[in-house]
Amino acid sequence: MHGLPTAALQGPRDVSLDLLAELGAGDAREREESWRYSKGALRALSQQEFLPATALPLPAPLQAQLERTTTRGRRLVFINGSYAASDSDISALGGEILIQHGAGNEVAITFSGADAEPLHLVYASVPGNAATRWRATCRVELRDGRATIIEQHLGAPGADVLGSLRSDVAVAANAHLCIASVSDVPNSVSLYRRTDVAVAAAASLVSTHATFGGRLQRLDFDVDLGGERARLESNGSFVLRGREHADMHLQVRHRTRDTQSAVLWRGVAHERARGIFHGGITVAAGADGADARLSNKNLLLSAQAEIDTQPVLEIYADEVKAAHGATVGQLDPTALFYLRSRGLSAETARNLLIAGFCRETFAAVGNELRAQLESLLLQRLPQEVTE
Amino acid sequence: MLKIDNLHVRVAGKEILKGLTLAVGAGEVHAIMGPNGAGKSTLGNVLAGREGYEVSAGTIEYKGRNLLDLEPEQRAAEGVFLAFQYPVEIPGVNNTYFLKAALNAQRKHRGQPELDSMQFLKLVREKLRVLHIPDDLMNRAVNAGFSGGEKKRNEIFQMALLEPQLAILDETDSGLDIDALKMVADGVNAMRDPARAFVVITHYQRLLEYIVPDFVHVLVDGRIVESGDRSLALKLEEHGYAWIADRRLAGAA
Repeated sequence: MHGLPTAALQGPRDVSLDLLAELGAGDAREREESWRYSKGALRALSQQEFLPATALPLPAPLQAQLERTTTRGRRLVFINGSYAASDSDISALGGEILIQHGAGNEVAITFSGADAEPLHLVYASVPGNAATRWRATCRVELRDGRATIIEQHLGAPGADVLGSLRSDVAVAANAHLCIASVSDVPNSVSLYRRTDVAVAAAASLVSTHATFGGRLQRLDFDVDLGGERARLESNGSFVLRGREHADMHLQVRHRTRDTQSAVLWRGVAHERARGIFHGGITVAAGADGADARLSNKNLLLSAQAEIDTQPVLEIYADEVKAAHGATVGQLDPTALFYLRSRGLSAETARNLLIAGFCRETFAAVGNELRAQLESLLLQRLPQEVTE
Repeated sequence: MLKIDNLHVRVAGKEILKGLTLAVGAGEVHAIMGPNGAGKSTLGNVLAGREGYEVSAGTIEYKGRNLLDLEPEQRAAEGVFLAFQYPVEIPGVNNTYFLKAALNAQRKHRGQPELDSMQFLKLVREKLRVLHIPDDLMNRAVNAGFSGGEKKRNEIFQMALLEPQLAILDETDSGLDIDALKMVADGVNAMRDPARAFVVITHYQRLLEYIVPDFVHVLVDGRIVESGDRSLALKLEEHGYAWIADRRLAGAA
């Protein structure tokens, strides 16, 4: 464990070794490398004592946040990782969805057959009296047809909470899965999410990740395009302020012929926030006809904000189409002037540009969720857009 | 309406306008012609209030007020409109949303009631019809993926919608085919009004066949060196800008 200070190795409560061993993928060296932009944030967490979280009632403000018309009767709520039957409502679930709860906060969801309506998974981080941590596992299998999952992370302010969710997702041949993941948590909440998706032949995954807030939010999103003509569309954004820290790691593996990936991510950081985007795409030998596109653009709104972007393209096949671009910049003064010259105030012009910058990544979600994302985004901007 | 006196403007430390004087009255159409690098676009940008243009000497008076005291959005609300030479693409921002916000911001500034969505759409349809612009343009992001001609027509459409008192057209004709050029000219001519003035910045005489100016000015090296009526534009077309330079040399000698 090179690179970590010796102080981190002392004291019985110091769990930094455990955290690094636990969070992330690969061997020790790979973990060390993949956490390098968030080492300080991880160290701070590891120097804190977290007690196991217990089942707590869902605070009223959070209840209001998870209501949505399109998922009425199709909602599973997990509080600090444990399934909360009384807050869930599964009255409208059809026979094509099988849900099994296992030990250790594990849930297994199997879709077999076409299903038009989304399934809503809510993970609430509810603070106790002291700092607490929870862990949960979610397995999803889509055997046939189409399915949509809305994964929502929210939290109540209070004592610190560290949550980790491990998801394993399998999309069978010819099936189509949409995942929309919205995380909007207070600064007392740290969230580690590791999602591994296997996409079989002629199957597709369309994912949207929208990330707001949090002390440390880390996502390891690993997509294996293992079947011929498997396809991924990954859209994502983070909007951070204060001292919020988000570290988004994507890894896409093109393992067979004619696989496609399109990655479109946007990041916005203001005040002293810190954002990281890592987009790794590997095209294995023999995966000819692969088409891999990655676009990552980032906006810094203050001199103290920082965003690091790392597109990493590794190609071992011969006939491959690949395009990637990553930028970190500021608002375009010409665009600002253009909007102001039409009568918009400097503030409105600025917020319109920022919202427009992120909006592209919301294109794949349903109307109700898109409206919610827009409103979350506007709340996070320096001042609200006045209409 | 607009009085520019002895205007000196520096951009990135370099003096571009070197004592420009120009008076534009309500109802008039002025054409500003000149070779590349003469300062034509600088004039448009200074009038609209773009940052990075440092006025080192001279004055600009607009409707009796010092224009340079106003922010770009205040100028817009007071009736100044610049049709950009290179309209900016703004992905993710819907044209309708943007224009409604802009129009209502201007109306609010002027103490007029804001338009609701129905009133706004009615106005939009009226203006679109006059300019022969397809409806779907309104549902797209501002200028994103527009062709060159569509961008310029969108500028004219914005002008029609915002109904400015002083409209500055910065090389709106560049990159347009003849049909698009006529459409742009029709849009401008439909808006000619005794209360409205136009400053038409152009490199070529061609646009002025369709938008007939009351005055033509030749801008060379940061100053207006020749003013006249529309026949001046025809002479320029025939002899080129070198003719002006030669005449100046001859005059100096």
